[in-house]
Amino acid sequence: MYNFLFYFLIEVFGIFFMILSFSVIIVYLLIMILSALEMRDFLKKNKFADYQDIITSPIAPGVSILAPAFNEASNIVQNAKSLMSLHYGRFEVIIINDGSKDETLQKLIDAFELKKTDYAFEPEIETQAIRGIYKSPNKSYRRLIVVDKENGGKADALNAGINISQMELLACIDVDCILSSDSITRMVRPFMEETNKKVIAVGGAIGIANNCDVKDGTVTKYRAPESSLGRFQVVEYCRAFLMGRMAWSRINGLMLISGAFGFFKRDLVMAVGGYFPKTVGEDMELVVRMRRYMEEKKIPYKVSFIPDPLCWTEVPEDEDILSRQRNRWMRGTIETLQLHRKIGFNTRFGILGTISYPFWSIFEKFAPILELVGLLYTLVLVLIGDFSALYFMALLLMVFLLSMLVSSFSVLYEQIAFNNYKDKKDLKRLIWLILLEPFIIHPKVVLWGLRGHIDFIIGKGGWGKMIRTGFKTAEDRKNINSQSNTV
Amino acid sequence: MLKRSFILFLFFCSSLDLYSQGVRDILPDSVSLVEELKNHAYIPNLSYRIQVLGEELPESQQVIDSTFLWTRNERGYLSPDFENGAQLESLVSEIPENSVELQFYVFGEKSSIDGVYRFLETLVDTGDFVYAQNQKSTDRDLVLIANRYHYQPIEAYKNLLLSDNQLFGVTLINVFFVLAAVSMIIFMLIFKKRRNQREEQIKDFENEIIGPLTSLLFEKSVDQINEMSKAEADAIFQDGIIQRKLFKIVLIDKIIGLNKKMKGDFKDKLKLLYQKFGLIEITRQNLEHRKWEKIARGLVQVNEMDLKMLLPLVKEHVNSSNFHVRSLAGATLLNIAEKVDLNFLRDQNYPLSDWQQMHYLRIIKYIAPSKSLQISKLFGSTNQSVREFGFKLVRMLGRVDLIQELHEINEKVSLEERVELIKTYDSLGAHMEVDFINSCMKSNHPELKKEAIKCAGNLGNEESEDIIILLITENPEFKIRKILLNSLLKLNPARFEQFVSDFPMEENLKIKAHLFDPVLSHV
Amino acid sequence: MKKILIIEDDLLISSLVQFRLKKDGYETVLVKDGNEGIEAIDAENPDLIITDVMMPFRSGIEIIHHAKKVLPDVPIIVLSSLGEEEEVVLEAFNLGVVDFIPKPFNPNELAIRVKRVLR
Repeated sequence: MYNFLFYFLIEVFGIFFMILSFSVIIVYLLIMILSALEMRDFLKKNKFADYQDIITSPIAPGVSILAPAFNEASNIVQNAKSLMSLHYGRFEVIIINDGSKDETLQKLIDAFELKKTDYAFEPEIETQAIRGIYKSPNKSYRRLIVVDKENGGKADALNAGINISQMELLACIDVDCILSSDSITRMVRPFMEETNKKVIAVGGAIGIANNCDVKDGTVTKYRAPESSLGRFQVVEYCRAFLMGRMAWSRINGLMLISGAFGFFKRDLVMAVGGYFPKTVGEDMELVVRMRRYMEEKKIPYKVSFIPDPLCWTEVPEDEDILSRQRNRWMRGTIETLQLHRKIGFNTRFGILGTISYPFWSIFEKFAPILELVGLLYTLVLVLIGDFSALYFMALLLMVFLLSMLVSSFSVLYEQIAFNNYKDKKDLKRLIWLILLEPFIIHPKVVLWGLRGHIDFIIGKGGWGKMIRTGFKTAEDRKNINSQSNTV
Repeated sequence: MLKRSFILFLFFCSSLDLYSQGVRDILPDSVSLVEELKNHAYIPNLSYRIQVLGEELPESQQVIDSTFLWTRNERGYLSPDFENGAQLESLVSEIPENSVELQFYVFGEKSSIDGVYRFLETLVDTGDFVYAQNQKSTDRDLVLIANRYHYQPIEAYKNLLLSDNQLFGVTLINVFFVLAAVSMIIFMLIFKKRRNQREEQIKDFENEIIGPLTSLLFEKSVDQINEMSKAEADAIFQDGIIQRKLFKIVLIDKIIGLNKKMKGDFKDKLKLLYQKFGLIEITRQNLEHRKWEKIARGLVQVNEMDLKMLLPLVKEHVNSSNFHVRSLAGATLLNIAEKVDLNFLRDQNYPLSDWQQMHYLRIIKYIAPSKSLQISKLFGSTNQSVREFGFKLVRMLGRVDLIQELHEINEKVSLEERVELIKTYDSLGAHMEVDFINSCMKSNHPELKKEAIKCAGNLGNEESEDIIILLITENPEFKIRKILLNSLLKLNPARFEQFVSDFPMEENLKIKAHLFDPVLSHV
Repeated sequence: MKKILIIEDDLLISSLVQFRLKKDGYETVLVKDGNEGIEAIDAENPDLIITDVMMPFRSGIEIIHHAKKVLPDVPIIVLSSLGEEEEVVLEAFNLGVVDFIPKPFNPNELAIRVKRVLR
């Protein structure tokens, strides 16, 4: 009897994994096609855009750049300078000193002759206490506002900046990012092109600056990073930004805008109550909540994506740091999905509920678990000498080849669209990495993802319970005092 | 896979059926019973002994006698008690059939064949005995078949591939993936090479162009260029290079780029040259192309180079379904048509995006001094976004003369449009509209209210001050209070001071400090 | 012979300017971005600098800063594609440039201004 049950289970699992792997294939092929279409249209459109025009046009929207800084003393002045010298007409730079323990604030004060002001405002979004708002009497630095506050984390710092901001658009960035000088003009374009669908947010691609030549705030020469972890992230960047997000933007299903470089409509961010500081995935959570709000209000909207290389950042090449980052990302994803599980598989929420949410649940959240179970399953088959083992090896090979196909396709995209990695040697190294990645790096990524799951389950952070209950509506966030301490 | 599990399921059903039958139905005779038992390594409480008849042990058994311990009895040799049915096979097969007897022991007691049947029946009922056929379902498995032929692995593999459709399918997909990935990589390398070559070529061409074009622009007058024949023009560049399509494209880019940055007769010279080099043909081809991006490129060329002769072709695209073509065609018409007619803009029925507004604004700004524009036409559009654009134009072009016309529609337009009207009055300093501004301050539309209060700070009268005071006493949200106080300060500093000292609430004091902060004052 | 340094990323524009100035008998040095501009200021010791405002790597404003520090007496003419963005114009004049020519421009006009400045 047990014997039979065992075999029956094996069969059921077999069917399950079979369906899963074929849906993976179909989904990725779809993504490849969709992103190709989107990229084609984007590049065509780009040819006719006169970005110079936006800089001086009175029609162009104003932009508040929000850059939280925590213990950034060594580079903060240079970073602030390069933010202020972006080519754009109407914008302000708000640097939020999130209770740094080093000299971040003092360096800013000294470099830009800042004075503490009597800036009067009432925080619409609750944050940690504001210690002071600084501006410079020197006209050359008129764009700069520095907010000094008690430490409260990145989301809290951004909320403080949002409270102070004056312009229609918010640009939330990491202060250590390198921004191309025309990044604002390119990112505001989708907002300006808005006709009958409200453009609520625009995401940008994040390039990898490791091993590249950077001169005065621009990447002058691209080079693939030395370490395989670094190169892996380059390939990943091509996959995530040039393929994944392009495809999602084609069907208006984007759920994630990278926290390092994203533009939002200010009034809408206000309407939903700003960032939610109690999740580690605050960037994704905000986008999902904004989308949910629009769906609940039944207003047609769009989340856009600009694949132009406009923003670069140094990525961790150290395995330890990277593992913590991935762990955090996984927790952020789980938390966001939990907080908004009402929208999942719910046709009322359109593409968001019926496509994006299920995709993220299966292919992002559960991916490491499914992969682990699949592997164990194959192992069992091998052990009991079932013929299906061979069959599963073939399936495994198929998935490997698919990953290769997808990766090389996305690198191809990069080459066609931007051709930043000009050196042939770099291209070869990237291709080599694509071949090795499934064996040397992917297992680690799966492991880090699993750890994220475990950390979520054992409840790192005291808001676990709240997150498990989730938001009843998008505006629910406003009822939660983000500072109340339930830990 | 599905099929397999279905078969398994059927098997499951049929095996349920098996249990309902008696052991005797399935194993009708002692031979089949023994065959079945041979498949069981262990059946609880059932053991066997073998009695060999005769004086001598068969030769084959003598060898293992030392370990197996046959015992001599009166009928011959008796084996010890054993439980593994599999041993039956090995022990009995070597001994002639007529000289061997199989004995069964149930609970240690010697039992007859019937006894064994009865015993097995009980075991089947309790589930402790499962027919070996059932367990051997994996027999059907190809791996087991393959195992039997393990000395011929290639053939086994071939069998597997051909006999299993699914595996065959997966292998096909795999092969496809490998091919696709390989061809992709090859394509990528070729593409890269081609593109680098093309970029090199473009650079070469650019260098080719700069010299002759520069000297031509300085050394020849407009008339001289006008008198040049096509052959003469072509001869400026190295032999025949101008016949190449890529060269022409680069040349077009260069001429257009230069034209944007040059002033005076250089512009005329460049426009003449564009025609002399026969580049206009390329523009015409672009305009007649099927792909929208080609058309758009053609439109840009017409626009930049004032190619009036192609205007009929441009007009065809004004109502194109493509956003870019539509707006570029509109912009081109505005820019180069002799008589500028805003009708096409008025009659558009899709919302005008900021992007388009930016384009139209730039062109209208540029041509406004030289051509008469009937901006007021736009006020009568049925399209709200076009009307709003009209109000913005009045503001951005500083057309104070149109305020009267705006005044007449003050009350007719929607609240959102009034926001634009207020902004326009504010920037043009239209004091005569103060009543309208005052009425808007009381609006429930938050944006309109906000703009009207701001505007009142610049254009308000005493009535405005009263409204401001009234609004503050309604205890508005902080940011509105700030705007209100700011406007009051601008209108009447004395009344502002009076008000704050009358109501020295924390909020008012904070706002006052803000408004008087010298560092913030220029924000 | 007076030496003029031209910092401009559009090669066609710069060669046009160069052609025109050579005709008037000046020696010219062409560089195509901000970084080269800074190096050339240090190395070439020019009598006049003509610079664009928006360029790769470094803005014209930075170049003016640098030039004023290294060669305080050398006049600077700014060639700008920014249109009339007054902030930049003001900042440039604040830094002590002698002239500000917005694009689109006429090279002949530029040549006249150069002559006047160098007289």
